Amino acid sequence: MAVATEHVGRTRAPPIFSLSNAARIVEMVIGGLLLISIMSVVLKFDIRDPRLWAGYGPNFVRGFWGTLGYIALILPISVGVGFAAGWARVSGHRMLAWPAGAFVDFFRGVPPIVVILFAFLFGVDFIPLRVQLFLQDVFGTSSNSLPFTLAAFAVAFHSGAYQAEIFRAGFQSISRGQIEAAEALGMRHFQTMRSIILPQTVRLSLPPLGNEFAVLIKDTSLLGALGATELVGLSQEFTAQIPISGGQIVWAFAIWSSVALTYFVMTFLVTRLLRLIERRFRTPGLDVMSL
Amino acid sequence: MIRTEDIHKHFGALHVLRGITLEVTRGDVLVIIGPSGSGKSTFLRCINLLVRPDEGRVFIDGVQVNRADIRPEWVRQQVGMVFQSFNLFTHLTALENVALGPIRVKKAPRDEAETKARQLLARVGLAAKEQSYPAELSGGQQQRVAIARALAMDPKAMLFDEPTSALDPEYIREVLDVMANLAHEGMTMIVVTHEMGFASSVASRIVFMDGGIILEEGRPLDIFEHPKNERTRAFVSKILR
Ligand SMILES: Nc1ncnc2c1ncn2[C@@H]1O[C@H](COP(=O)(O)OP(=O)(O)OP(=O)(O)O)[C@@H](O)[C@H]1O
Ligand SMILES: [Mg+2]
Repeated sequence: MAVATEHVGRTRAPPIFSLSNAARIVEMVIGGLLLISIMSVVLKFDIRDPRLWAGYGPNFVRGFWGTLGYIALILPISVGVGFAAGWARVSGHRMLAWPAGAFVDFFRGVPPIVVILFAFLFGVDFIPLRVQLFLQDVFGTSSNSLPFTLAAFAVAFHSGAYQAEIFRAGFQSISRGQIEAAEALGMRHFQTMRSIILPQTVRLSLPPLGNEFAVLIKDTSLLGALGATELVGLSQEFTAQIPISGGQIVWAFAIWSSVALTYFVMTFLVTRLLRLIERRFRTPGLDVMSL
Repeated sequence: MIRTEDIHKHFGALHVLRGITLEVTRGDVLVIIGPSGSGKSTFLRCINLLVRPDEGRVFIDGVQVNRADIRPEWVRQQVGMVFQSFNLFTHLTALENVALGPIRVKKAPRDEAETKARQLLARVGLAAKEQSYPAELSGGQQQRVAIARALAMDPKAMLFDEPTSALDPEYIREVLDVMANLAHEGMTMIVVTHEMGFASSVASRIVFMDGGIILEEGRPLDIFEHPKNERTRAFVSKILR
């Protein structure tokens, strides 16, 4: 018990970009390129074939930016939805907790691709024409792109359901006693929420959220099945054209290796970034291990 | 200073408090003893309205505070509370724990609140622990931080709910010493405890509660040496050994 008697200051914050992280990525990229080169020898094709890159290059770039765009749209929505639903489940109000519980159960129990298809095919029918026009005016969404946006929302809701459980666990791990202590000081509800509950919940939720973000990034590829402008979809489109355009089928190997590498780097960066944030705010007694 | 009149509290079918009438004058130290489940904690919580009494009246400095037009947050600022399980805020250092109340509730400037928090931590013997997190402190140290945290709000009175029951025996002394000092400085205190040494040397009065009522009330010597009530006698002889 009395071990921690020496003066303990705040742990020094680690640098955001450490050498070991950079090294890990460089390793992966070099490894990936090496693998592609070896395989191109084994499969007997020229990895630098200009016909391959002239054809696939634009698709890759367009798909990559599309994927980034979807991530930028889906990630914040999923966190908002997840946080709200997680909070609702522990709010103690049955009118909030029950719908939130149903939401979580539904999205956890149905394959994401099915929900995405529903949103894509029928989502528009549920949106009043007036709102559709509003969206067109404000965001410039054309009636063609609206189903894709709704499908993206489906991905966000799917991930939000999992995040809701993460946040719920975070909320529930804060002892009733601390909340009571805050009340005993004279804090109002929202002050207790802001000063005690939120900071602890966020800290406890960061590690599992990192995992969930990685899943979300990869799940955006499901939108490719609908023909959305994103990396997997456009890569598939090009792959399908190879035989027609007189290319080599083994190109597919280079294409999908590039895709895999791209997703790896994206998820790696995001999870590392979260881990660094988590370490920066590490507090004794408030890590996942101590739960 | 603190007065309660005929406090009743039900939890569902359970009638936990059955008419508690008490008065604590300024500078008094009232110790409440009684068996588990007799309603001691519930009574303390009724005073700072963490629990709302179903019936009866609570007065602080002559003002009835369990009224619809008085915010419970305001009442709680007047009366500090220390819990059995310390309940320090895990994500804050000792200093931040103590300074948080004045900053958030009283809107005190941060540097002012921190200066005061430093003084309070020094007063409970923890000047060297300002930057430690609760998980890095012993139970006794945590409880002393909790006392400093309550004092930071400049309360008119302090409520202690079994402040040493969760402590390893070697840490009980340091917490009781802090409480005794506080009493000598003239703080009005209501203390639920079974530390008989503390009760007999510091308490001005002792109340024995059982089954939601006050069975006996008197000076420490009267209660411990010459209890009138049979139940008091049985309880006292049990905790004195
Ligand atoms: N919030 C609550 N809801 C329902 N019942 C409660 C609640 N708080 C207390 N009780 C019940 O009221 C009774 C008195 O509880 P209280 O905590 O006041 O007793 P106590 O004298 O402090 O006991 P102990 O010495 O064990 O702390 C107990 O039977 C307890 O189970
Ligand atoms: Mg109790």
